Amino acid sequence: MTTIRLTVNGRAIEADVQPRTHLADFLREQQLLTGTNLGCEHGVCGACTLEIDGAPARSCITYAIDCDGASVRTIEGFGGDAPMAALRAAFSAEHALQCGYCTPGMLVTARDIVIRLPGVPEDRIRKELSGNLCRCTGYAGIVRAIRAVMAQSGTPSGPSLASTEPFASTAP
Amino acid sequence: MTPILPAYSLMDHDIARARPLPTTGVGASLQRKEDRRFLAGEGEFVGNIKLPGMLHVAFARSAVAHGRILAVHKPAGFEDAVFTMADLEAGSPPVGPIRVLSSLPGFKPSSQWPLARDKVRQVGEPIAMCVAASRAEAEDIADAVVADIEDLPAVVDMLEARDAPPALVHEEWGDNIFLETLVEGGLKGDAFEALKRGAAVKVHRRLRTARQSMAPMEGRGVVCSWNTRLDQLEMHTAAQMPHINRAGLSETLGIDQASIRVIAPDVGGGFGYKGILLPEEICLAWLTRHIGRPVKWIEDRREQLIANTNCREHHYDITVYADARGRLLAIDCDSVIDSGAYSSYPFSACLEAAQVGSILPGPYKMEAFRCRTWSVSTNKPPILPYRGVARAGVCFAIETMVDAAARAAGVEPHEARLASLIEADEMPYDNITRKHFDSGDYPEAIRRAMQAIDLPRWRARQGAAEPDGRLIGVGHAVFCEQAAHGTSVYYGWGIPMVPGHEQCGARMTPDGRLELRIGAQSHGQSLETTLAQVANEILGIDPDHVRLVHGDTGMTPYSTGTWGSRSMVMSGGAVAEACALMVERVRDIAAHLFQVPLDQVMLAQGRVSDRAGGHSLTLAELAHVWYRQPQRLPPGVNPAGLEVIGGYKARVDTGTFSYACHAVAVAVDPGTGAVELLDYVIVEDAGTLVNPMVVDGQIYGGTAQGIGTALFEEMRYDSQGQPLASTLADYMLPGATEVPAPRIIHMETPSPYTTFGQKGMGEGGAIAPGAAIANAVNDALRPLGAELTELPMSPRRVMAAIAASRAGGVIGSPHAAKGQAA
Amino acid sequence: MKAPVFDFTRALSVADAVALLADTARFTKPLAGGQSLGPMLNLRVAFPEHLIGVRQIESLRQAFIDPANGDLVLGAAVPHAQIEDGLIPDVTQGLLAHVAANIAYRAVRNRGTVGGSLAHADPAADWVNTMPLLGARMVAVGLAGEREIDARTFMTGPFTTALDEHELLVAVRVPALGKNARWGYVKFCRKPGEFAEAVGGVLIDRARGIGRLVMGATDGAPIVLEESAERVRAASSDSAVAAHWTDARLSAAIDAAGIGHDPYSAQLHLTMARRAIAVALA
Ligand SMILES: Cc1cc2nc3c(=O)[nH]c(=O)nc-3n(C[C@H](O)[C@H](O)[C@H](O)COP(=O)(O)OP(=O)(O)OC[C@H]3O[C@@H](n4cnc5c(N)ncnc54)[C@H](O)[C@@H]3O)c2cc1C
Ligand code: FES
Ligand code: FES
Repeated sequence: MTTIRLTVNGRAIEADVQPRTHLADFLREQQLLTGTNLGCEHGVCGACTLEIDGAPARSCITYAIDCDGASVRTIEGFGGDAPMAALRAAFSAEHALQCGYCTPGMLVTARDIVIRLPGVPEDRIRKELSGNLCRCTGYAGIVRAIRAVMAQSGTPSGPSLASTEPFASTAP
Repeated sequence: MTPILPAYSLMDHDIARARPLPTTGVGASLQRKEDRRFLAGEGEFVGNIKLPGMLHVAFARSAVAHGRILAVHKPAGFEDAVFTMADLEAGSPPVGPIRVLSSLPGFKPSSQWPLARDKVRQVGEPIAMCVAASRAEAEDIADAVVADIEDLPAVVDMLEARDAPPALVHEEWGDNIFLETLVEGGLKGDAFEALKRGAAVKVHRRLRTARQSMAPMEGRGVVCSWNTRLDQLEMHTAAQMPHINRAGLSETLGIDQASIRVIAPDVGGGFGYKGILLPEEICLAWLTRHIGRPVKWIEDRREQLIANTNCREHHYDITVYADARGRLLAIDCDSVIDSGAYSSYPFSACLEAAQVGSILPGPYKMEAFRCRTWSVSTNKPPILPYRGVARAGVCFAIETMVDAAARAAGVEPHEARLASLIEADEMPYDNITRKHFDSGDYPEAIRRAMQAIDLPRWRARQGAAEPDGRLIGVGHAVFCEQAAHGTSVYYGWGIPMVPGHEQCGARMTPDGRLELRIGAQSHGQSLETTLAQVANEILGIDPDHVRLVHGDTGMTPYSTGTWGSRSMVMSGGAVAEACALMVERVRDIAAHLFQVPLDQVMLAQGRVSDRAGGHSLTLAELAHVWYRQPQRLPPGVNPAGLEVIGGYKARVDTGTFSYACHAVAVAVDPGTGAVELLDYVIVEDAGTLVNPMVVDGQIYGGTAQGIGTALFEEMRYDSQGQPLASTLADYMLPGATEVPAPRIIHMETPSPYTTFGQKGMGEGGAIAPGAAIANAVNDALRPLGAELTELPMSPRRVMAAIAASRAGGVIGSPHAAKGQAA
Repeated sequence: MKAPVFDFTRALSVADAVALLADTARFTKPLAGGQSLGPMLNLRVAFPEHLIGVRQIESLRQAFIDPANGDLVLGAAVPHAQIEDGLIPDVTQGLLAHVAANIAYRAVRNRGTVGGSLAHADPAADWVNTMPLLGARMVAVGLAGEREIDARTFMTGPFTTALDEHELLVAVRVPALGKNARWGYVKFCRKPGEFAEAVGGVLIDRARGIGRLVMGATDGAPIVLEESAERVRAASSDSAVAAHWTDARLSAAIDAAGIGHDPYSAQLHLTMARRAIAVALA
């Protein structure tokens, strides 16, 4: 066991961890923050996506011990956050979730998209979402929700440049 | 048999006037009640459940596909933490194997021991259960378990399993065949032979669909404890059909069903993957009692991909006969289903094959039909019915054949279909395999799809070379989705769990809210919302005041669960019945309270009042009187009060037939084999839509899965039966860049047999994409003379088809028949 | 799917890390972003006993232009996302940013590092194919001191490099492209973010006498076709340089690399090379 200090959802925390415990397990098992879901534990599905030092990261392939000194924000930590509130409302309005398992990771990624890439076209939104798998929704509602929040924020998702088809490939 | 409320009988009641604002009842795109907790990260998935003193389980699993177990060695020092089948059998009562019987003649059941005994029959089969304070430590122990296994030849390919088996998966059978069936209809014998000889068009193909993993984002998982007060096993499990799991646990553990409570909490997607009694569930149920501690096992993605169930591996050796216009005359087919090592509880290894035989004709009329099916056993995981069950494979088979026949006849594929489909004015229609089509206008769906995709536009574009050298194709497929089918159908398919009547328990609480208890389980289907809409439709109660209790055998009526697109019809029907009964109870209480004749009492918009207008109470006020102020009620009021059980069974239990036409335009890159979807249109008829937003969500989601079937998903095995996809980097699920936003166009032909005219539709989206995209890809490759006959159409297969056509053959169909177009 | 037991020590300087990595008693490895090692640990296909965290070493996080020769010195622990976002000096006319933006997914790019990717040496990954294309040099530090390794000889096989077991990759030196240099970098992935099935890279920099074509995602190190400086300098146009890369030559190289036995893979590599050429000349 090694002692680490980090901030979780704005709260300073000191905890003993085993080096092999990944961040998601640390949060879920030791901090009882179960909003972060695990879908693959090898970095592909995106279910475990949360924020480390303000940027989205995979908590299943990040070890808690390597987060000593970091600031971590999970889905439980977006209480007063306006973009997240807008996304949550839009996800519900656009039916962007069914079973809800991918949703926490999807919201963290969606928030990154609307903040980092305001106004990007739909094909770019889709490419940015490609690391978050959803088996239920077919992504239609998720893409619509992100576009809706962009529009509300005054940065409507622009037309795709790549293609004039109803939807465009992002392949090279 | 007859429901209390026949279809549309609501109009007979005063409550018809209770028809609420269209924003809440049947037909409203109401936002979901379940969203809030998931958006907050507060869903209660089984992985989130923690009990005091809980220990964690990992399984030591077979590394080989087929072998005889000589010995299992527990690691030194961990003898008390490792359990084998011998330990489970030593208990009292001993734990028994999973055995699923079918009523179909000739079916051979398998014995699947929860932990392998004597033999292992697939990679990943659990051999020993290891328990520790954390999952990581349990895995450490599992890694240290050594099993001495004498290798046996692996049975990997389904055709080989049938025709030239290198070994027998179940030696006592004498072959590798679970079940062989023959379905025939229409002309037989000489008449059929004469038809064959006379047919202007004859096309023959060998078609194959890959083995897939359903891959819900959440895997399976179990948390078990023993409640000593109730002397009851309490199991939380990520499951679609908790009542069935309870029955299976009782049978294998040898304890009565009342001693078992199974709870399916929030479940992160099912798609059929969670419709099974798992060996792991039996093991943990035994373990918690044996060690007196709560225990937890959460399936990880590798266990899901290599060890647990798969789906959808079909082979078709099929010949289609048509006239010169491409009109279907007959189908003659041999089909093999790779059912894997065991027959799963409860659907068994017969369902998929039985379905193939009976639904292969699809919505087409024809004069003769013959289909022989073999459900074979191999050294691979068992298969389960995945969204659409056999329909996805069947749709691929029949629809690619219709296209091939159309090409041979030199007509547009939709013309061949229009010539063969059941017409609207023929409904209801009993087809050649005696499927009873309830309603619908299939030709119209195709016409609308052709219009929406704009066939001439793509044909024109095909005429001009693409600047990037890609090949353009357009294709479509039509299917029917028999859903919510009941007793007679499943009895006919021989599965041991025949669904019958569905119930809903409804209680008005003292503050006037409504609790609904159903035995089905919602894991993304939005039942908490849609069933509240049904209640609103009948009781006028605010959907926010309705709470759905589901997924808990301790709290809900028996049900076979959520599968087969049945919940909206069956549970929806039961909720409607229960609410209608509740209306009567409310009116009875009000009549007594108001001291007016019953027929003077009406219920509208959540208020009960007398027609003269003298009295009016909210449901909350009425409930308050009933529960807290019974002194105000005169004698004679029905003492059964505000608690009812409503039951439902469709008058005609052969099911509802939703259907759709999927049309798609593709671009195929001849330099890489990559397929891009350029446009995708779905014309869907699911009868009355209870919540159109939710219906569209089911279509989008199903279509995404179908695109996975069409282009990406494949569980491959090497010749030793070793799985070649053990991570999501190898087993490729479609993401937001692979799935377009299809354009959905609704037709609404109400089912004459259900409460509101609604039809089951949860599976449809997943059925057609394989067929529609295959037809589009083959249309694109036509100038090259190439054709694909296997799913998924991976770049490798596309390139192989192109290469094969250059070498002068059609891949996958060496016996391409006469009459086939170039 | 939980990692086996290991110890972890965070290094704060190169000297620290090198001293810790010198431990021969235990199987010791650097841990950078963990985006390749993490999955391997969780899947229990790697069993290091001691991991040395190198992400926090300040000098490994720097990227700057060497005033001596104009090279970009790219710290080994610079995450892909930082390159994608253009937060490092650009000496490659956007090539590095283009490559970075198409690695994995943003959440992976936020933590995954250039050095980790190179040291991991997955043939299907991006930097192992990009750095040879650019003629970069790897800077490694071990107990014996610092040395440079040419990117074209850095990768010695699938998942193996010229790094000594105890050496730390500290930086990559990327030479600045000439003014009129042109490049093309394309890859074929079944899905965006997934590892490539074939990579094609082309650099034509006549001012510096460079005409180079890389075919990556092979069974080992990338195939590098290098035109002689004289020939490049003598060429009248970029197309004239590219004209040497005939299908026959490319196919011969593909065959020589042992990919030819799989016609699909061979075809993909050829297609990607052709498209990289087209992009460079466009
Ligand atoms: C889902 C997913 C998709 C991906 N897709 C792509 C892709 O498309 N293209 C691509 O290129 N990559 C891809 N990657 C890999 C990603 O780019 C990783 O970031 C990278 O390969 C490893 O970097 P890291 O910093 O995380 O290294 P780590 O995982 O920390 O380490 C990897 C290896 O390098 C060693 N190492 C690390 N740093 C040093 C050092 N300074 N000196 C010596 N040895 C060192 C470690 O000991 C280990 O053996 C993907 C990863 C994931 C999870
Ligand atoms: S659980 Fe972390 S990416 Fe899948
Ligand atoms: S909502 Fe179920 S996985 Fe996305």
